[in-house]
Amino acid sequence: MATLDLNAINKSFGAAKVLHDISLAIKDKEFVVFVGPSGCGKSTLLRIIAGLEEATSGQIVIGGTDVSTANPVDRGISMVFQSYALYPHLSVYENIAFPLRVQKMDSAELDSRVQKAAGILQLTDKLHLKPGQLSGGQRQRVAIGRSIVRNPKVFLFDEPLSNLDAALRGDMRVELSQLHRNLDATMVYVTHDQVEAMTMADRIVVLNAGRVEQFGSPMELYHHPATKFVASFIGQPNMNLIPARVAGVDGSGVMVELDGGHRMALPVASTTVNKGDKVEVGIRPEHVSMGDSGLDISVNVLERLGGTSITYGTIGNGTRFCAALPGDAPIEEGRNLTLSVAPENCHVFDANGDVLRRQAAPEMVA
Amino acid sequence: MMDRYTKLQMVGIYVCIAVFLTFILLPFFEMFMASLRPLEHLFRSPYQFWSDDFSFDAYKQMWVTVPLLGRYIFNSIYISFMVTGLTMIFVVPAAYAYARLQFPFKNLSLGLFLGVNMFTGAVLLIPLYRVLRTMGLLNTYWAMIVPGVAFLIPTGIWLLRSYLEKIPRELEEAAFVDGASRLYTLRRVVLPLAVPGLIVVGVAVFIGAYAQQFLFAITFNQTRELQPLPAGLYEFIGYQSVTWNEMMAAALVGVLPVMVIFLFLQKYLVAGLTAGAVKE
Repeated sequence: MATLDLNAINKSFGAAKVLHDISLAIKDKEFVVFVGPSGCGKSTLLRIIAGLEEATSGQIVIGGTDVSTANPVDRGISMVFQSYALYPHLSVYENIAFPLRVQKMDSAELDSRVQKAAGILQLTDKLHLKPGQLSGGQRQRVAIGRSIVRNPKVFLFDEPLSNLDAALRGDMRVELSQLHRNLDATMVYVTHDQVEAMTMADRIVVLNAGRVEQFGSPMELYHHPATKFVASFIGQPNMNLIPARVAGVDGSGVMVELDGGHRMALPVASTTVNKGDKVEVGIRPEHVSMGDSGLDISVNVLERLGGTSITYGTIGNGTRFCAALPGDAPIEEGRNLTLSVAPENCHVFDANGDVLRRQAAPEMVA
Repeated sequence: MMDRYTKLQMVGIYVCIAVFLTFILLPFFEMFMASLRPLEHLFRSPYQFWSDDFSFDAYKQMWVTVPLLGRYIFNSIYISFMVTGLTMIFVVPAAYAYARLQFPFKNLSLGLFLGVNMFTGAVLLIPLYRVLRTMGLLNTYWAMIVPGVAFLIPTGIWLLRSYLEKIPRELEEAAFVDGASRLYTLRRVVLPLAVPGLIVVGVAVFIGAYAQQFLFAITFNQTRELQPLPAGLYEFIGYQSVTWNEMMAAALVGVLPVMVIFLFLQKYLVAGLTAGAVKE
């Protein structure tokens, strides 16, 4: 197994520049997820690591060896594709054995490797079937089987779960996490689904418009998003962003006046803003509670999910606000509601979208 | 399955099919009828659609009238198979290259191939004659095979290319990531998936080869033993009379092997057109 280092990767398609100076250091045995909206360049980056695309400039180092110009097979990677890319005319056995057949491995060794992979993925009794006879989850496992028989240093996954239905996706998430533990392998996983990223990753790379917005552990991204983009991308439902103005600055934090006039003293780094600056205050829906004083919200839509009630409404001059409240909270659509929020749970973003670092950091789960 | 047509529409559809089939099959029917009649009945006036003295005599007599008939039928099939085989050998790698690789003048050359199709062989007969003479191929099987291959390659490339393009690129990328070379991928992944397409192209080329050999045979070949059936049929035209009934019988018998092949391949053709080998 191995480390994976990307040094200043750039990629252009003609005049369109899709990746800007991507540098990442991925540790041995780490499960790293590239996440971002469609078109952010995450799949292109993965294909560059795989060797299916050539970077315009930059360097790829796997396990200490520069593989920037090497063929995929010589990089020690294997890849699982979004469509699984199983060979429909070959049996499950031959699909899994394909990379070994290419190597012209002798049949005893080949058989033991295929059987081992099939055992890990619970495919032993499916080996004689064709991919067309398998369910979506089983096909996914065959694709993974094909990627593990070669004992690669780094596994690459390109949105492998996006073709599955929601229930199966949940199961496969757990299976993939277990697989990662069993194989003790370095894995890079691309998805647009922040839930997949949060649940499976050791560390997450958030990409936006071809740039790395932030690289950190899931809870680091959740508690300390570096930018407004990361803040709104991570977390479900999305973080509320309320336009605000800096009403005062002192050593302990920033006094902001939210849209609607509510004032709050927030304990964040205050060196980069001045009184009068426009900022945005980020409040996660799950960080509000019903109270007597605080934000006044008029409720438009209420979704009772059982355990929680998701409340959509507006505050101030029509700024949209979403709150996640207890399931039985006494709320009605069309009524007004007062929500209180702890100042230490608020995020502040300057006009560029960069965060003012929170001083009172909550306990972090590593 | 849901019946998407009303009764009236179904009637209309079948009427149209019937008219269409009549146009296509009537000549064959007339050939068959002519082959059954004694020769003098063919010129009887008024024309009699039905006679009582139908017989299969012509099917026996034709082997006597033209002793080399069996040879001609064999030649036809042999030339067509050779043309088909050689064409496929050229078409498969070329179509794959056009479907997947980037190279200079790709679209221009594809357009040129299509352009070549617009010339019938007849326009190029004289230059072709000179070429074949220079190469010493006149009056051999190759005189009929080589031009046949040359004229069918463009069609083959166009047909197969569009089929190969439908095979998901990810399959080839997966093979590439696993270390397979282009040729290995072509052999182990692409061609097995393209079998229905290969059959379609093969059949199209075979038909083309069968149809075009007449022209090349009468111009580039004087050796009687090498003539294919369409040229051999000329021998039924005698000095005094044309034995039409035997000629029709011979033509039908000559077409028969091809028809049998088609009956067998038909299900592949239909399967190739309906069920994609790959789930998209």
